Amino acid sequence: MTRLRAEGLTLGYDAQPIVRDLDVTVLDGKVTAIVGANACGKSTLLRGLARLLRPRAGTVVLDGRAMAELSTLEVAKVLGLLPQAPVAPDGITVADLVSRGRYPHQGWFRTWTDRDHDAVARALDATDTADLVDRPLRQLSGGQRQRVWVAMALAQDTDLLLLDEPTTFLDINHQVELLRLLRKLNGESGKTIVAVLHDINLASRYCDHIIAMAGGAIVAEGSPAEVITAELIAKVFGLECVVLTDPVAGTPIIVPAG
Amino acid sequence: MTAMITPVTETPQVREAGATARALRATRRRRAVRALTATTGLTAVVIGLFVLTMMVGSFRLTAQEVVTSVLHLADNPSVDFVVRGLRLPTALSALTVGLALGSSGTVFQQLLRNPLASPDFVGITAGASLAAVTGIVLFQVGGLAVCLLALGGAIAAALLMYVLAWRDGVSGYRFILIGIGVAVFFEGITGYMLTRAELFEARQAMHWLTGSVGQASDAELKLLSAALVVLLPLAVLLSRRLRVLELGDDSARALGARVERTRALLLGTAVLLVALAVAVAGPIVFVALVAGPIANRLLGPATGGIAAAALVGAALLLSADLIAVHLLPTPLPTGVVTGAVGAPYLLWLLATTNRQGAGG
Repeated sequence: MTRLRAEGLTLGYDAQPIVRDLDVTVLDGKVTAIVGANACGKSTLLRGLARLLRPRAGTVVLDGRAMAELSTLEVAKVLGLLPQAPVAPDGITVADLVSRGRYPHQGWFRTWTDRDHDAVARALDATDTADLVDRPLRQLSGGQRQRVWVAMALAQDTDLLLLDEPTTFLDINHQVELLRLLRKLNGESGKTIVAVLHDINLASRYCDHIIAMAGGAIVAEGSPAEVITAELIAKVFGLECVVLTDPVAGTPIIVPAG
Repeated sequence: MTAMITPVTETPQVREAGATARALRATRRRRAVRALTATTGLTAVVIGLFVLTMMVGSFRLTAQEVVTSVLHLADNPSVDFVVRGLRLPTALSALTVGLALGSSGTVFQQLLRNPLASPDFVGITAGASLAAVTGIVLFQVGGLAVCLLALGGAIAAALLMYVLAWRDGVSGYRFILIGIGVAVFFEGITGYMLTRAELFEARQAMHWLTGSVGQASDAELKLLSAALVVLLPLAVLLSRRLRVLELGDDSARALGARVERTRALLLGTAVLLVALAVAVAGPIVFVALVAGPIANRLLGPATGGIAAAALVGAALLLSADLIAVHLLPTPLPTGVVTGAVGAPYLLWLLATTNRQGAGG
């Protein structure tokens, strides 16, 4: 059984729907990348799956139940999300920010427990940010800051983690570092990960499954080897390209043609 | 950085198991101690100032006389007359109005994610002023009627802004811009009202508009105190959710917060607090603006302690009242003092906020 899927999903902000009548199944225990041109609806789909956007039509099903019937807290214990441009109050420290990820596990009066403590410590260790706990977020580099945000999402301790363009604004080194981190999280704890990514080659290299979108619909999905073809890239991005084999990992990589 | 934290190494795997949890525990403990120390210290300062405002004046009293009289421990008719009859209402007014302004201001600033988003600027105080001045000028009302009009005006202004700012939810930035617009609009009408007023009413209206803790009646104080007993604990209880809302709507929703409901609840609490404060004392400026940032200085950045901000508000207002009534050659309304101290702070805030680019 798959834990997260959508049926006949239609999503949009204004009168015009962005995602139309879409069916998708998120593979359990895999790292999935959603790729596509700008404004193809990939972030919208992710927001819809994370119930940040109420569907116009269709349903998102989480653990066999329609998400609309679940309380936001129930969802938050299973499904975490790192938004595209998260904001933090001025001067907040890393420890404070990551600790706020424990919100769904705490009640009105319940104080901080050992379980909260361990979850935050594990999140800091996993993201290699434990040395930064007392530092203000503002003072960190872009790569460090993004790792801290991932740590906050990890502290939430969910089996599913969605990330909206987590590599934007990062240099290539930090992009790779972040994707390796996602792979590590998937490998160590079997976490299901879905990320909206811009870079096809990084998606191909580090993800098990690729969902390619165009015009609010899924055009192709499958393993990188199945999905990444010259025809598909032309169709999705309008780019003429040649598909080569990554000499290190053996995954497909694309190079612009002509 | 403390000794608990291991230095950055090339191989992070060598990190000793449990070291992170220990470092985290130490950090949390430090924060808790700091919060407790600051809050206890602030409480002591507020109590001290509260007693001090009742000691000074043309008839000087000792701290012991004041305390025993307030707590009904001793019977001394002349002292009781001065303390309970004359000075306690003003001191109580400064205390409660300060608590309300401080807590309300910090909730606004955190909720709208902007240090400038104090209720002074986003039209709530302006709504109260318009209603109060209209009452004074057109209907020659005074006392409790003005208080209730101001209360109604503040709440109506808040509702108007909420409705105008609503578009699939209320974003902080829209609320602030609309709030500023509403404030300017209301201030314009208030100005027009003043030009239409007879001299006596105009003087009365101007006095109300400056804000003073000395004008509160017994009934008004009872209303504010009763409201504080309910609203202040509610605000403190809601602060856990506020800390999640601070991370933006998407993160807050992802963490399981019911964003719109929580925001409406917090805004409602903060609006009631500031509306009551303005209704009782008039628009005392800048206390709501500075209380939160001062509390954050004491507790640590982004701690957002609502109780601490309330106490800072009370301390500020009690000090302002002491200065306004006793230290200056001629007694002035409290609002003049807070304005004189607060205006430079506002300029500093605007200058530094723009430089950091964190204002919006």
